[in-house]
Amino acid sequence: MAGKDCIAIACDLRLGMQSVGVSSNFEKIFEYDSVYLGLTGLATDVITLSEEFRMKHNMYKMREERRMEPDTFANLVSSSLYEKRFGPYFVGPIVAGLNSKTGKPFICGFDLIGAIDFAKDFIVAGTATDQLYGMCESLWEPDLEPEDLFETISQALLNAQDRDALSGWGAVVYIITKDKVVKRLLKTRQD
Amino acid sequence: MPGLGFDNYKRNQYLADHGVPMPTATSTGTTIVGCRFNGGVVIAADTRATAGDIVADKNCEKLHRISPNIWCAGAGTAADTEMVTQLESSNVELHALSTGRQPRVVAVLTHLKQHLFKYQGHIGAYLIVAGVDPTGPKLFSIHAHGSTDVGFYLSLGSGSMAAMAVLESRWKKDLTKEEAMQLCADAIESGIWNDLGSGSNVDMCVMEQDKPAKMYRNYRKPNERAQKEKSYRFPRGTTAVLAQSVRSLVDVIETTPQSMEVDA
Amino acid sequence: MDILIGITTKDSVLIATSKSVARGVSVIKTNDDKTRELTDHSLLAFSGESGDTTNFAEYIQANIRLYGTRNGFEMSNKAIASFTRNELASALRSRKPYQVNILIGGYDVKKKKATLNWIDYLAANVELPYAAHGYAQYYVLSLLDRHHDPNMTQEQGLELLKDCIKELRLRMPIDFKGVQVKVVDEAGVRKLPEDF
Repeated sequence: MAGKDCIAIACDLRLGMQSVGVSSNFEKIFEYDSVYLGLTGLATDVITLSEEFRMKHNMYKMREERRMEPDTFANLVSSSLYEKRFGPYFVGPIVAGLNSKTGKPFICGFDLIGAIDFAKDFIVAGTATDQLYGMCESLWEPDLEPEDLFETISQALLNAQDRDALSGWGAVVYIITKDKVVKRLLKTRQD
Repeated sequence: MPGLGFDNYKRNQYLADHGVPMPTATSTGTTIVGCRFNGGVVIAADTRATAGDIVADKNCEKLHRISPNIWCAGAGTAADTEMVTQLESSNVELHALSTGRQPRVVAVLTHLKQHLFKYQGHIGAYLIVAGVDPTGPKLFSIHAHGSTDVGFYLSLGSGSMAAMAVLESRWKKDLTKEEAMQLCADAIESGIWNDLGSGSNVDMCVMEQDKPAKMYRNYRKPNERAQKEKSYRFPRGTTAVLAQSVRSLVDVIETTPQSMEVDA
Repeated sequence: MDILIGITTKDSVLIATSKSVARGVSVIKTNDDKTRELTDHSLLAFSGESGDTTNFAEYIQANIRLYGTRNGFEMSNKAIASFTRNELASALRSRKPYQVNILIGGYDVKKKKATLNWIDYLAANVELPYAAHGYAQYYVLSLLDRHHDPNMTQEQGLELLKDCIKELRLRMPIDFKGVQVKVVDEAGVRKLPEDF
């Protein structure tokens, strides 16, 4: 979610095989310096891709001797996914970050073959997509301050995952502003 | 490295056979049109992207720049239209650089159709290619299997019938630029209102002979969201937090000004 | 279906594996060992398609032993799990993937910490306090959810494991011929003399 000079990204913590819950501490958000990547979908692909992006991100940093901007990272995700057009990774990625020069919030989402969805408000992905669309569409408003954005994104995620049997078992939220990143573990239902 | 990887294909087939649902790709269930006029050509598109029956993006861009004077409207699988036009764009640039000539629309058309034919329709890109080059204004369409059409007015996508109804009833020879823009916008609006796969706004691009092409992003906005009457903002402290960690991105350093010493 | 269960305690990991090997309608072995020692303080347990399982486990074992010999120090447990996952993930995209589910129990002598990694045949790797593979999951995970405590002693862990096996004997429709239990702790890997 985008706010006023800030962004927030949140995920649940469940890892499951259909109905069986395997882990309640499986984070789906990965940090690449100041760019944040949320990866939902098949766990093995989530791990594979997060590591591939870590490698590509580090290679970029060494070659270019500068940090990667969020929009650059988004294009990296897109082209990496499209490379597997006819044998895709089963994932639903989200990219969020603040542009280091302009300070402008950047958020976008992708389908599994890399079509980018640029949004100025919010992006959702995962098994609770339908529920999240409903929550975000009603709760989000422009220019929220970091603390208000935290409440909005938290309530959107919490209430959406309570209506999804496959999501839940804890939640984490990152609130990213230009000078600090706050990570909060939320109190959630455990069923 | 070059070409597309099929590494996961067999695994995904196995997964699909064992009842794991295949995620849905975003498609531009779309209305796109193009129309010639005296001295130029105009293309237009709606801005809705869908994933199944969910609206994935309410204001996406379906008009792609291939070269400054050749633009392309895309329908079908979102990733395919985006990637195939990006690829063509860079190839056209390289071609123009190596030949020292301005890119031509027929060259773009031929190259795109050969690429799509090679993939036998598996790259789901349905395109309207338009532009001006030294041989005049041009308007073509390409289907995913590689077939192409030429026309004075064309429509493609799930809203193509709604748009074509407008084009067929109102198109005439020797349209002016303004008339063509009006016609295209009305044709897209017909798709926006009457086709469920199309919606939101109208994007338009006008290409005229010997003039820079002009892109009109959100040329019409007939579906602007009304201001919410009430705020659903939660009071701070609503959400229960179990733990918190803070990563500081800036260091605060106390400094005292020091004078620099210079040897005489 | 084979049974793999892993439980971490305060200072050890307990790994239980079923002893039966069945081909079609016949049980052909009743004292099978579905584990391989990777290092002095790391144990790999495996189940899945026969042939794939031992082949893959011994391939991993050989590579990790080689690493230790070459470098003069052993791989960390995190690295072992990561390496194993990576081999499985690469095989997954090959003509014939390995169909192997894995648990890796390890004890870090320096950090004095026991870890357990759960890896399935799709190469999803997670570190967990307790884990199981196969149909056994459906019976024992709820028990472990209720009774597991990260600070429990090895003795308490064994009692919990016994309760799990008791439940499996009661509820599983097939006879898995009991389980063997191996412990990984400060002293290394050892097999418990009594099976249950």
